[in-house]
Amino acid sequence: MPPYPTGSWMPVALSADLPAQTVMPAQSPAGPVALWRTRSGRAAAFADRCPHRGMRLSHGFVRGETLACIYHGWSYAKAGNCQRIPAQPALTPPDTIRVATQHVEDGGGIIWISVGEPAAGPPRFEGLAPLRSMVVEAGIVALEAAAGTKAAGGLLDYTYDDRTVWLLLAPDGQARTLMHVLVNEDSNPDERIDASRAAEALRRAAEDIARAGIAR
Amino acid sequence: MTRNTMIDGWYPVGLASQLDAHGRRTALMGEPIAVRRGEDGNAKVTGGNGRDLPACIRYGHVWSSLGDPQKPLFAIPEADQPGRRLVDVGVVRVRCSPLRAVENFLDIAHFPFVHTDILGAEPHTEVQNYKVEIREDEDEVWATQVKFYQPQAAKSAEGGITTEYMYRVPAPTCSVLYKTCPPRPAEWDVITLFVQPLAEDLCDVWPWMALFDDETPMTDLIHFQQTIFVQDRSILENQIPTLLPLDPGMEIPTRADLTSVAYRRWLKRHGYTYGAQLVAQ
Amino acid sequence: MKLYDYVLSPSCYKVRLMAALIGVTLDIRPVDFHPGCEHRGPELMALNPAGSIPILEDGDLVLTESSAMLVYLAAKAAPQWLGNDTAGRAARVQQWLSFSHRLTASLGAARLHEMLLRPGNIAALREQGTAALRELEAGLVEQHVRGQRFLASDRPTIADIACFPYVALAPDGGVSLDPYPAIRLWSRAVRSLEGFIEMPGIHRLHELTPAPVLEVGEA
Ligand SMILES: N[C@H](CCC(=O)N[C@@H](CS)C(=O)NCC(=O)O)C(=O)O
Ligand code: FES
Ligand SMILES: [Fe+2]
Repeated sequence: MPPYPTGSWMPVALSADLPAQTVMPAQSPAGPVALWRTRSGRAAAFADRCPHRGMRLSHGFVRGETLACIYHGWSYAKAGNCQRIPAQPALTPPDTIRVATQHVEDGGGIIWISVGEPAAGPPRFEGLAPLRSMVVEAGIVALEAAAGTKAAGGLLDYTYDDRTVWLLLAPDGQARTLMHVLVNEDSNPDERIDASRAAEALRRAAEDIARAGIAR
Repeated sequence: MTRNTMIDGWYPVGLASQLDAHGRRTALMGEPIAVRRGEDGNAKVTGGNGRDLPACIRYGHVWSSLGDPQKPLFAIPEADQPGRRLVDVGVVRVRCSPLRAVENFLDIAHFPFVHTDILGAEPHTEVQNYKVEIREDEDEVWATQVKFYQPQAAKSAEGGITTEYMYRVPAPTCSVLYKTCPPRPAEWDVITLFVQPLAEDLCDVWPWMALFDDETPMTDLIHFQQTIFVQDRSILENQIPTLLPLDPGMEIPTRADLTSVAYRRWLKRHGYTYGAQLVAQ
Repeated sequence: MKLYDYVLSPSCYKVRLMAALIGVTLDIRPVDFHPGCEHRGPELMALNPAGSIPILEDGDLVLTESSAMLVYLAAKAAPQWLGNDTAGRAARVQQWLSFSHRLTASLGAARLHEMLLRPGNIAALREQGTAALRELEAGLVEQHVRGQRFLASDRPTIADIACFPYVALAPDGGVSLDPYPAIRLWSRAVRSLEGFIEMPGIHRLHELTPAPVLEVGEA
């Protein structure tokens, strides 16, 4: 079974990492996306490829409620339809010029993408607050081995000293994992910094395991 | 497999001014080659198996071919006009298809967004109608009467002007552009892009210029052109797919893209497909 | 103040950027670094035997390290950029200034290899560059937790200017910035500063200006 069957949700980024009027690259179950947020605060995900000449839209810029491509400035509304072609300002772009969009949910501080019609909303993690996202050059198996515990529903509880951080894992192929670090929502700044450092240590351990596995 | 018809073409492989007896190792369409100055003072180029390759020196560069060129290197008559400053801009490597590098050079609609406040600036984004043709006698792609508003068209330009361009593609990986010459309205400045295909997705780009400009220091001329080209580089390394689609497929050309459309059609007609794919997937 | 400068050099750009942000005018002397290798010629070697640029000359002061140039510009024209109001902050600024040399040696060398064909072990340079980016990302995450948007403080200092160019240009050397959300936010904060200037490879943030409209009759 693929990690994200049609209709299931993948956690692709933290809401705080995508302020209004910005765009960032992300991985979705259907490939690379440009994840962006309108000025009014709504998040959207487009295939990361401009329909004009193939430039990555994640290099573009957000003005108001549209995402524009950095190459020739074509701009697209949240629904994916092209709104403006600067080289032909008088033209109303035909409705056929559109970029593929994906379902986005932005809740509990996490941005989720689903490919295909989702049956229900994405999970919520009551009492937890997202801290940071990091890319691990190792698969989930190596992360589980490093943490000494198994992930359940994509969530790995990692206990270090006598604290716990929760790692929300999203596989990006076999050998890479996107890891969102969640902490108890009433953690103070020092505890959050400790949690970030614990996640760094876990990543190092998992990558060592993955490297040793390849070497073997 | 069909024969690579680009094999018989001439390609730039180094700066003539940097040719020495020691030489440089580089590559042409996947084959390692060596370029050096021979005992007789001429350029000597050898292929992967040590065989001698055709070589000539023209427009500031050493040119060579893996095959058997049927024609001499294309002519740029203006390059020999007295009074021009010849500018060796130097190499910039780009991880992209050599054909994508040429196509980008033929495009003006990106100026306001990529060369902001130099070659273009919003709100002056409109591309007026221009003429495109494949000249059958010369077998070249030409775009003429191309006009664009530019804040700083050249190092010598002061303030914005509407610049006129003519574009020419005399070989699949080379383009020559003629541009309004501020100090001499009756003449055209010549700016070229010579692309050395290292692989289908990797190229060394050698811009070169022949300008009427007696004022600007040579280093400033070099830096102006390097600035422009390196602004394009991050675009070229981020286009999908990497290979140039010869049929639009998933891409949507508009009126401003007519030069690109003609270029792709001309490549396809000749089977110039090194660095290309037939349809965009 | 005279800056021996090259448009494509991130180290020279640090000095141009700092000067632009604090309103200092530099007398720019372009150096034909590529393809001419003028920085290795007799005139520049006499000024800087290390054979590197930038070089900043002010009267009889000659500086050949970009970090020292940032200190000099800030101390002269905008001391708040030194970030030395507490012992901890002053040390943190120095920490990042020293760190910035690792960026030059890794991401900078990878960029010269990939773009201007300089020799180098590209796999090793990328690996060192990635390690440095991870450190920077972790440092910025901790700054966010402390409620600070910049490397040493909640306002920008010379530390940010010393680190920004090679980081922003990492993709030129084939090192992706996609995995670093905190670096992305920081880079955007630097690029949004009043007086910010670009260099080739760093595009204008077009979203900072509203979509311009052409007046009727204007061409
Ligand atoms: N002294 C260092 C040197 C900076 C540096 O590496 N500069 C490059 C240009 S970006 C250089 O001059 N390299 C000499 C060479 O590669 O030959 C600084 O000021 O930060
Ligand atoms: S490629 Fe996006 S606007 Fe041209
Ligand atoms: Fe360009």
